[in-house]
Amino acid sequence: MESKIATKIQELIKRFRYNKSAKERKRETKTQEMIRRFRYNKSAVFGLILILILVFCAIFADVIAPNDPTPSPPELEKSLKPGFWSEDGIEGMPLGTDMLGRCILSRMLHGARISLSVGFVAVGIAVLIGIAFGITAGYYGGWIDNILMRIVDIMFSFPGLLLAIVIVAVIGQGLDKAMIAIGIVYSPQMARVMRSSVLYVKETEYIEAQRAIGSSNLRIVFRHVIPNSMAPIIVYGTLMMATAILDAAALGFLGLGAQPPAPEWGAMLSDSRLYIVSGAWWAATFPGLAIVFAVLGLNLLGDGLRDILDPRLKT
Amino acid sequence: MNNKKVGILTIGLCLVLIVASFSGCVTEEEEPEPGEMVLIFGSSGDAKRLDPGDVTDGESIQRMDNIFESLVEYKPSSTEIQPCLATSWDMSEDGLNITFNLRHDVKFHDGTDFNADSVVFSFARQYNSSHPYHDYGEWAYWGYMFSDIDRVEKIDNYTIKIFLERTNAAIMTSLAMFTVCMVSPANAEQWGEDAFKHPSGTGPFKFVEWIKDDHITLEANDDYWRESPKLDKLIFRVIEDPSARLMALQTNEIQGMEYPDPTSFDAIEADSDLQLLTAPGMNVGYLAINCGYGYNDSNENGVRDPDEPWVKTLAYSEPLANKKVRQAINYAIDKNSIVDNLYKGTAVVAKNGMPPFMLGYNDDVEDYSYDPDMARTLLTEAGYPNGFTSTLWVMPVSRPYMFDPPKIGEAIQSYLAAVNITVDIYQIDWATYLEKTEAGEHPMCLLGWTGDNGDPDNFMNVLYAENACSIGTAGNVAFYNNSRVQEVLSAALQTYDTTERANYYEEAQMLLHENASHVYLAHSNQNVVFRSNVKGYVLHPTSRKFFYPVTIE
Repeated sequence: MESKIATKIQELIKRFRYNKSAKERKRETKTQEMIRRFRYNKSAVFGLILILILVFCAIFADVIAPNDPTPSPPELEKSLKPGFWSEDGIEGMPLGTDMLGRCILSRMLHGARISLSVGFVAVGIAVLIGIAFGITAGYYGGWIDNILMRIVDIMFSFPGLLLAIVIVAVIGQGLDKAMIAIGIVYSPQMARVMRSSVLYVKETEYIEAQRAIGSSNLRIVFRHVIPNSMAPIIVYGTLMMATAILDAAALGFLGLGAQPPAPEWGAMLSDSRLYIVSGAWWAATFPGLAIVFAVLGLNLLGDGLRDILDPRLKT
Repeated sequence: MNNKKVGILTIGLCLVLIVASFSGCVTEEEEPEPGEMVLIFGSSGDAKRLDPGDVTDGESIQRMDNIFESLVEYKPSSTEIQPCLATSWDMSEDGLNITFNLRHDVKFHDGTDFNADSVVFSFARQYNSSHPYHDYGEWAYWGYMFSDIDRVEKIDNYTIKIFLERTNAAIMTSLAMFTVCMVSPANAEQWGEDAFKHPSGTGPFKFVEWIKDDHITLEANDDYWRESPKLDKLIFRVIEDPSARLMALQTNEIQGMEYPDPTSFDAIEADSDLQLLTAPGMNVGYLAINCGYGYNDSNENGVRDPDEPWVKTLAYSEPLANKKVRQAINYAIDKNSIVDNLYKGTAVVAKNGMPPFMLGYNDDVEDYSYDPDMARTLLTEAGYPNGFTSTLWVMPVSRPYMFDPPKIGEAIQSYLAAVNITVDIYQIDWATYLEKTEAGEHPMCLLGWTGDNGDPDNFMNVLYAENACSIGTAGNVAFYNNSRVQEVLSAALQTYDTTERANYYEEAQMLLHENASHVYLAHSNQNVVFRSNVKGYVLHPTSRKFFYPVTIE
């Protein structure tokens, strides 16, 4: 008796509040609302700026890079020269050169292209596989769900990077293959996220209504379930892109990712770590910083997106 | 409440105990007894086996150089020989057999007497396929260097005779090699196929323990037939990363190390606690271009017999089989720049397949200059005006003749790109790399050789002879078959006349140069670093590491 009254009161309050806030924001479209909430989140804006810089570098690398990232023939005489901070620095190579005399700044700018494409493609693969698995498992449930989720469990039981190395060992080295490997490794996480959000969406009233008017499963899934389950996927995908870049760098570091002379950040780091002891700290430090900023930017951006897309965090 | 306190106390106590036990471990193992002279040497890798007859790699060899001895040995800094376990020897007039008088009163580390029986044992287990211990090893070097030995016979307890199948001018220097070191027959019997883990020789140091991939400990042999060594203990510790090795040396955790990174030489020279020892190395690092033809050595005699036809190697490719293309590749690569900037000047540019200080080095060969235009012209003449694509195999580990192969590979890739030859770089683990290059699965590969005995035959015949094109066990990884080269190399080995030998080798080098089967890159110096108070170490041209005269002040 008592609890019934309490819930009713709460409901009333809720309705009242909702109406009020809706009134206030009447002229605001959904997108405008999102942007407003995003701008309020300073770290997310910072993340977005970092990523925009990165995207800019990637797109215009050819224009803004001061030098050829892989000059041919090589200019070995410029090997391991410091940058602008030193009197011995060579002109036109502000961040110094690596062992083979190549401009580190130019290589980093071109490396942005590689890292971003790794992020997009790998996560894209993971999202495609993950959605297929997640939808099927979540929407149909029962034994299908059971089988698919056990497969996902098996994949989860391998450490991610190790599984990627195994896949690369089977399908061969190279950047394209590293992307596929990372995509496969990340797909079970995507499948889990998708499934959980499908489980929620399929119980909602509008889906029930669709069923009631006799829509086919295919129509329900593609027109209603998928669009309405995408929010967590976008958030998770952004965060995952950061780890994908990190894993691609790790594979590059191990010599399994991008193949020479591609200016991949992880490979640059691994190539130059030997020379830190002998004083050439710049050759390894700058690519390392590039990885740090890219990952930081994507993580902040991902957090920000979660804040605006997750209805439970709405105030 | 009380319970919680007790819990915290227990955890604290456990932590203290754990920490204490760790520190206990360290002191037990690391701290030498007072007054004991211990030298820890930082190696770049672990030994594979400790049986001198059955190893080919430098890491195994440097440990055994201090445990085992052979009939003759090299002088401290040359490849001339002097008596060791044999006090004197006589070669017959036809040059087909040698009689050795053995040293008396020498004992193996396990207490067995050294005598004619142990010498015959050490040889026979390698060449006699029905010997009971023959199956315990692969005896690779026997095939490379000693197959001219027909048999070894005991004359009396302290005299033996070696019978040769044909004359061999390099045989005496070869007999100072690790392959023919004397091993204790009793020890072999005791351990059977595991004898390689329990070495027992006559050398200045005795084996104590081997912790795989960590360290090998040797101690002074007090019954050594010469004076006992000055070091009480000699430990080879594995530290793979060159910068980590250098840091360990700087903190006196180790007292010596091999293969310092050339970029760190300035830092080493600036450090008064360290000394860098450098000497010209007896080695060559090269880019081998697969010329395309090998043979299957079905009877495993190391010689191409008439019934063993030439077959295309797995990686045969039309462009690389063309002499002009190979010459173009030679013109396209700036070796001087590679040696100056990637070897950091710790090597000399190579123009022949063996080091300049050796007998028969042909200084008249005029090296290919760095001339990309010439390379393009040659490619056009050969029918590849727009270049072609290929694959360059690059070894993943640093070698005495090439400190940083991946960087050199990338530089070469970039030089070749400038003349429109697009190469992909292919890397694979070292053991597989050797196996597959010996089988001819590479279009181009980086490789090299460190000399064993100071004889030109050990370079020319092993690396460039037609007989060395055997698929699967090839030493000639360029798979370059030229019957004239084989002819002069065989003739050079069978004559004892030095001038005549030199002439043969010079001719072979000229032919190899013209046909451009390799791009010879560099002869690297050998470098080791010690703490300044380590005295008496002498670099040997063969890069073998003898610690007998070393002392710490």
